[in-house]
Amino acid sequence: MKALEECQYQFEWDLWNCSETPASLFSMSNRIKADRELAFLHAIGSAGVMYVVTKNCSQGIQEACSCDVSRNGLLGKGSDWKWGGCSDNIDFGEYISRHVFSTTDTGRDAHAAMTTHNKQVGIQTLQVTAVLICKCHGVSGSCTIRTCWRQLADFRVPGNILKKKYKKAQRVNFYNGELRRGNSVRNVPLSLVSKSSLVYLSDSPNYCKIRHVNGMIGTQGRQCIKQEKGISVPKEHKKNCERLCRDCGFQIRRETLQEMSKCSCKFRWCCTVTCRDCLKTVTKNFCHKED
Amino acid sequence: MAGVVLETLSWKKLIALGILLLLLLLSFFLIGGLVAPNPSNVMVVLGTKCLRKGSHMQEEWFIPFGGNEKCDSINSVDEDRVYDEGISANQIVFSFWLPYMRDGKQLDFSRWQQMLLTVMQLDIQYDPKFPMVKGNQYNCSLLAFFELGSLHYDYYLINVRVPVEPYKGINMEIGSLMDIWVIGIHQNGGFTKVWVSIKTAMFPIVLAVLIWFWRRIMMLTRPPNLLERTLFSLGIAMSLLNLPLEWLTLAVDMPFMLMINDIRQGIFYAMLLCFWIIFAGEHIMDQVERNRLKHYWKHLAAVIFGCSCLFIFELSERGVRLTNPFFSIWITDVGTKLALSFIILAGIAACSYFLFLCYMIFQVFRNISAKRTTLPSMSSARRKFYLGVIYRFKFLMISTLFCAALTVCFFIISQLNEGQWKFMDQDLNLEYTSAFFTGVFGMWNVYVIGLLCMYAPSHKNKPMETDETSNEEEVQLTHLPSETSSVQAFAAKAAAD
Repeated sequence: MKALEECQYQFEWDLWNCSETPASLFSMSNRIKADRELAFLHAIGSAGVMYVVTKNCSQGIQEACSCDVSRNGLLGKGSDWKWGGCSDNIDFGEYISRHVFSTTDTGRDAHAAMTTHNKQVGIQTLQVTAVLICKCHGVSGSCTIRTCWRQLADFRVPGNILKKKYKKAQRVNFYNGELRRGNSVRNVPLSLVSKSSLVYLSDSPNYCKIRHVNGMIGTQGRQCIKQEKGISVPKEHKKNCERLCRDCGFQIRRETLQEMSKCSCKFRWCCTVTCRDCLKTVTKNFCHKED
Repeated sequence: MAGVVLETLSWKKLIALGILLLLLLLSFFLIGGLVAPNPSNVMVVLGTKCLRKGSHMQEEWFIPFGGNEKCDSINSVDEDRVYDEGISANQIVFSFWLPYMRDGKQLDFSRWQQMLLTVMQLDIQYDPKFPMVKGNQYNCSLLAFFELGSLHYDYYLINVRVPVEPYKGINMEIGSLMDIWVIGIHQNGGFTKVWVSIKTAMFPIVLAVLIWFWRRIMMLTRPPNLLERTLFSLGIAMSLLNLPLEWLTLAVDMPFMLMINDIRQGIFYAMLLCFWIIFAGEHIMDQVERNRLKHYWKHLAAVIFGCSCLFIFELSERGVRLTNPFFSIWITDVGTKLALSFIILAGIAACSYFLFLCYMIFQVFRNISAKRTTLPSMSSARRKFYLGVIYRFKFLMISTLFCAALTVCFFIISQLNEGQWKFMDQDLNLEYTSAFFTGVFGMWNVYVIGLLCMYAPSHKNKPMETDETSNEEEVQLTHLPSETSSVQAFAAKAAAD
């Protein structure tokens, strides 16, 4: 699943490491808290569906891709692609993401409103990252005729944007059928939420204490990264091990492992078949429960 | 110069005719904007990565989907299967089938769609060894792929191989190629239908007007003058452009249609440019006897030179594509330089042409204002003659400027609109680009029809001086108006004496 993969990449070094099942992308059932992590999941989930459907449409393997006729001229003979061609694949991906995968959360309560909003943010983010490319093909290749299309960016791009939005997510309240910023207890007029930011209803649980499916608690057993010789760490992860392990009451354990990896590969565009498997010694840090 | 229809026409008739032509013009814009779809549409197709099992030498085609014919494919070049089975780069074939599936059905091309132009987009995974742009993928520019001047067949199957030759170094250091996209641009069938209908309707009309014009001239006792011959040629060029050759493409495979259309359009615009120069020249109203092509050789040379530059460029780009659709002059360094030099030369020619034209128009206006001051002192016949000349010139000036301004305005609107097309897909359903094409095409048709009607010799008898007397009087009159031209006029008078 593209979205989950991306989510796990984006949260590799965070307290919450996106250890979710694909089902949680689309329903609320196994998560009670409507926190900012869920907001991210919904956004990346809808963007992921849109992305994959668009790609499949382009490859011709998505059976349900249809030829939308919205841009065919008023009096055109509608359904005929020979008259006006087909719409963009991205439009169809958006349609599927919006209509087919939103059936699980209907209703007019706060959770449904939050889900709809965050999914919309995901779709919008993917749309913004799709680049408009144009090709001139007029007389002798001049620009009297130009045809434009949208090309999807790599999924990492919307992933990065959504991660930023996750950090700036806004806490909202459900008020009179609308999501509004701030706290309703205070007697301040509440402002509406911006359409491009992720929203959540309740604070995140303490991810140090959450019990996972495999019986581990919090960040127990997780790998963390540390600034060391030969390893450079991005700025935001400078104190990763402290944050991930120490703050949760775990100890950092340094382990030396033997790892199999591909090496001395002959560089080719695909399928590095001339690789050899080599044993490499790596040092990793893990969060470890105190004995 | 003989009197033309324009001068004998009453204001009432002129306005009625003007409104009629304007309505015709408006209907062209509306047909394009409301009936026709966008001129072209795009198909973004992602290649299916088929696996080749046999030996390298075997000629084989791979079909991306279908029942038994479907090739054995992989989803991604870094999936486990590739490592487990030791699949090499040489075994992967990117397969494309145009057009793609929609609604679970296989679409097919129609011959109305006229042409197919494709570009390739490569997705290359980021490699820390080649740090260019931070990100997961390189931001690659488009590659021109191929261009077909006719869509004679229903389906097109494309197989792309990127074989690796370690000893020759072919395709070795190109990064990790994940996917190939082929973007196919085709003309819309609906647009072609509207376009061909307009051409089919306009062709007999322009032809009829042209024949009427020529018969008018033939009825005169004198041989046709230069301006009339130029106007006639302009009509012929217009008819050539109107000729609905597209009908033939429905039956015959005509890959040269793209080129023919470009050439037809080129001929028409070249003729139009020549016409403007000659028209301005014939209305300068000085004592120089022109009426011969020789006097315009400088100006016409600029037009012909510019056009032939573009023609050579066209031949070397679209002409070569007739034999090799994958050819592009831009892919080699020499070709790019050559193409650029042709375009620059054509640009220089265009600039010098416009300088000539502007200078000529300036001359005309200078003479017009000079004549204006002396008009009251002229005999009524002379006055009528000059007023006629001035009127004819101004009429053409205004209508030409109107057409040119409309073209430029509409071009800008359609370009702007296309850039923003992403943001306004639902609210407005007017096809600006189509409206631009049908509108501009219709406009020049109306322009040529208007010129042929207005500037045909009038058969209402008008008192006109014979050529010799007018010439003599012109010489006598010209030294009256201004100080600047008096020396010139004196010299001319001396020569006449």
